[in-house]
Amino acid sequence: MNLLTISNLYGGAVVLYFLAAIASLVFLKLHKSNNAIAHSLNILASLLGAVAAVWQIWLGDLLIKLADFPFPISFITINITIDRLSSFFVLALSVLVFCVSIYSLGYVTHYFGKRKVALFNFLYSAFVLSMFFVLTAGNAILFFIVWEIMSLLSYFLVVFESEQRENQKAGLLYIAMTHVGASFLLIAFMVMYSYTGSFDIFAGSTAIPLAVKNIMFLLFLIGFGVKAGVIPFHIWLPYAHPAASSNVSALMSGIMIKTAIYGLVRFVLFYLGSPAAWWGVLILALGIVSAVLGIAYALMERDIKRLLAFSSIENIGIILIGLGISALAFAQNNLFLAGLALTAALFHTANHALFKGGLFLGAGAVQYATGTRDIEKLGGLIKKLPVTSLFVLGFSLAISAIVPFNGFVSEWLTYQSLFLAVSAGNGSVNIVYIIAVAALAMAGALAAVCFIKLFGIAFLGLPRSEKAAKAREVPAAMQAGMGLLAALCILLGFLPLLFLQLVDKVVSSFIGAANAGQLKGGWLIAYYPVEVGENSIYPLMLVFVVVLLSLLALVAIRVLGGAYRERKYGTWDCGYRKLNARMQYSATGFSKPLRIVFRILYRPSRKLETGEGSSVYFPVSQKYSVATESIFERYLYSPILLLANRFSVKAGSAIQTGSLHLYLLYILAAIVAAVLYNRIV
Amino acid sequence: MNSIFYLAIQIAAIVLVAPLVNGLIRKVKAFTQKRTGPPVLQMYFDLYKLFKKEAVVSEVTSWVYKVAPYIVFATTLAAAMLVPVTTLLVPFGFPGDVIMLIYIFALGRFFLALAGLDAGSTFGGMGSSREGMISALMEPAILVSVFTVGLISKSTSVLQMMEGSKSMGIPLSHPVYLLVFLALLIIIIAETARIPVDDPSTHLELTMVHEAMVLEYSGRHLALMELGAAVKQLVLITFVVNVFLPHDQLLSMGGPGVIAISLLIYLAKVILFSVIMALIEVNTVKFRFFSVPNLAALSFILAFLGFLNQFVLS
Repeated sequence: MNLLTISNLYGGAVVLYFLAAIASLVFLKLHKSNNAIAHSLNILASLLGAVAAVWQIWLGDLLIKLADFPFPISFITINITIDRLSSFFVLALSVLVFCVSIYSLGYVTHYFGKRKVALFNFLYSAFVLSMFFVLTAGNAILFFIVWEIMSLLSYFLVVFESEQRENQKAGLLYIAMTHVGASFLLIAFMVMYSYTGSFDIFAGSTAIPLAVKNIMFLLFLIGFGVKAGVIPFHIWLPYAHPAASSNVSALMSGIMIKTAIYGLVRFVLFYLGSPAAWWGVLILALGIVSAVLGIAYALMERDIKRLLAFSSIENIGIILIGLGISALAFAQNNLFLAGLALTAALFHTANHALFKGGLFLGAGAVQYATGTRDIEKLGGLIKKLPVTSLFVLGFSLAISAIVPFNGFVSEWLTYQSLFLAVSAGNGSVNIVYIIAVAALAMAGALAAVCFIKLFGIAFLGLPRSEKAAKAREVPAAMQAGMGLLAALCILLGFLPLLFLQLVDKVVSSFIGAANAGQLKGGWLIAYYPVEVGENSIYPLMLVFVVVLLSLLALVAIRVLGGAYRERKYGTWDCGYRKLNARMQYSATGFSKPLRIVFRILYRPSRKLETGEGSSVYFPVSQKYSVATESIFERYLYSPILLLANRFSVKAGSAIQTGSLHLYLLYILAAIVAAVLYNRIV
Repeated sequence: MNSIFYLAIQIAAIVLVAPLVNGLIRKVKAFTQKRTGPPVLQMYFDLYKLFKKEAVVSEVTSWVYKVAPYIVFATTLAAAMLVPVTTLLVPFGFPGDVIMLIYIFALGRFFLALAGLDAGSTFGGMGSSREGMISALMEPAILVSVFTVGLISKSTSVLQMMEGSKSMGIPLSHPVYLLVFLALLIIIIAETARIPVDDPSTHLELTMVHEAMVLEYSGRHLALMELGAAVKQLVLITFVVNVFLPHDQLLSMGGPGVIAISLLIYLAKVILFSVIMALIEVNTVKFRFFSVPNLAALSFILAFLGFLNQFVLS
């Protein structure tokens, strides 16, 4: 009997994650060994998971049934089924967990002796396991149960540092929003059962009429949209991500919000089959709004993790643009385009897991070293944290979609999907496409500005606070975790075809072999095109040529100018000679031009407080503050909350009069109604 | 072999000619202002001098500051490889993709802006911040422009776009090409930091953008930054003149002579375009910084109208 099979590898991963969770509860007081054992087990588990996922995508059967137990309730089965789409997301999960767990070996040390490390590690491992099951559940009710478990565990992780009031608030907002989303999903699953008589995710949906499918689509879109942080359902994200520990926010932003993307692909594209064109247009429109507004809000933030949270919204937007094109093309039966756009979306999903995971780890490293996440209090970290800085710079370039990093490849594929879509499209839909092009361009450029600000203000220049000046480089394990992710970002950028062929296998298993022939390229370094139709990019060849030419240029400069000589001197200060850290540009100042240009969106308000001294011309102190306002919280959520509050107060006083007789009447009425319903239906 | 020949011609035509364009623009400006002005070759002398000078480096800076000029220059070199000066000479499997071109420039801009912040000087930060705003506002117009032209020739490859416009007769007589051309003209002015968006000849802190970012630089670092900016300018000009004023279809004979003639015509087009840019610069005043969004909007609308005309209304 062959022990080395895909199912056994997956099974091994599950068992190891489970052991990691148990082990962290065993060593309650021994923080050091607890941490080492739990995360070593997680590392091992994720390694098995990654190997199994690649194996399954590359060579394995289309469907692998890992487990299928009956349950006392007839329509629920513990059905763990893995197809290539599941494997793809499990791969992203495993790779990220692998790196984050290595990082955690070092990062969690700052909890030793201060917090319940055992509880934290238990929640962490269980959270990872729950995400694994979300991605592999084959039964809709099982999916819903593990989805809820995932939400609850992540809620506990968000409020782990519970003594801070804002964390409690963030947790409350998160759990409330995520349950609003979950209720939509539950309704969708109930509709699914009432028409097909089955909760099987892999069964067909032909029994469902189109009108019902439309309703189910909207339910799924809202349900998953809340979890993904799609604007306008995004309000929990910028609160929850900063509240959680950095390794947890890396997982939440890197992969947890992607489980919603998995859900959308699984249920909207594959289960419902995207029969109507307006579905795609709606997804595309949400993607456009999320991409531009997400990064626009990120630009205004001075808290690193809030900035990153908003940037996650942007990237979800980019993924949705890909998904939207794919859904639209599905509806129009343009399978090549549907495949290409889905490839772009999935590629970007994986990319975002890598660089956003890395950026959150970087934010954690900054917080570990300086104790603050406020960009305005940082500066000059590149000299104190040289290794971390290098990695953060790499992630920043990757997320800004800059050549030759991985983010560029997926954005390029998204552009190409849009290009093909316009070529094949007609009339009015083309307007949506070209707006998507403009939105993608703007989001890309704003992302670059945003990360120039993050890196330029926090890592370059002079330190703006005592803490930043005294920062020391983080432990080796944390560096290793970030380094691995950075290496992957470069690898996927230089040799995108390695990964694209994997994605293509996933996509073609659903769409047919439409794309496989279009992604050309061999294994040779110099000839590695990513090719769509006649358009191609050769990232590695370009790098190769540029490096060669640059070396030539260096020689030419040497010949022209002789040996390099330099003199150290102060920064130009107009002869004042007393330049200090406070005279540098601040993060708030850096984003001011865009704040003014987009003032309709930000609604900035400023306040100048002057502490007057003996004369108005010599104030003793001045305080200047700028605030922006979230139009969604103010004009969408606040009115809804207000209305709901008013209604419940009124309804409460009308229904709960305090009279016992009336309450007995309610019970009678309820029983009569229930009996009548049973009789009629 | 063909590829090496192509690379050599590209470098010679773009990197070596780039400073000349700047000299030409300055000369034309001087001429219209009744001045003698510096010699046309002045920038070559400046660069040579800068390469030989020692570099003054701020104590505050990190390695980013020193690496940035090389990356900025290398990205413009990469860009120069992607935009053929003549379509007759392109090697097989040419990888020039226009979206890649835009994101290569983004890499250079990223490091340029970081370099502005590295020295901890207010001027640098101001330049980076403003550059960020201008680039973010111009980017949608750029992409919509190149998409529109690309869609007509059914490819985002720079070469295919040039080939596509060759078969259009006089491309500028088509409304869509004309609209996109005007959009790109505005973009080039913004991207090359010229009046009315920025003023390349000023060191007055209230108005400078590009100059503010490179304010700290000296010696060979400055030379690389200046040369990089000049190369970027010529790459953009090359793209526009070869897509909107294609000339290779006029040449029917074969052999090496045809390449030489093609290159000469290319040079003539570049000179013509430079003169136009110089005249625009002479005839406008620098805009208030917060009027630049209007310019970006105008450019976007022109490109968008071009797209509408071609792909939605017809």
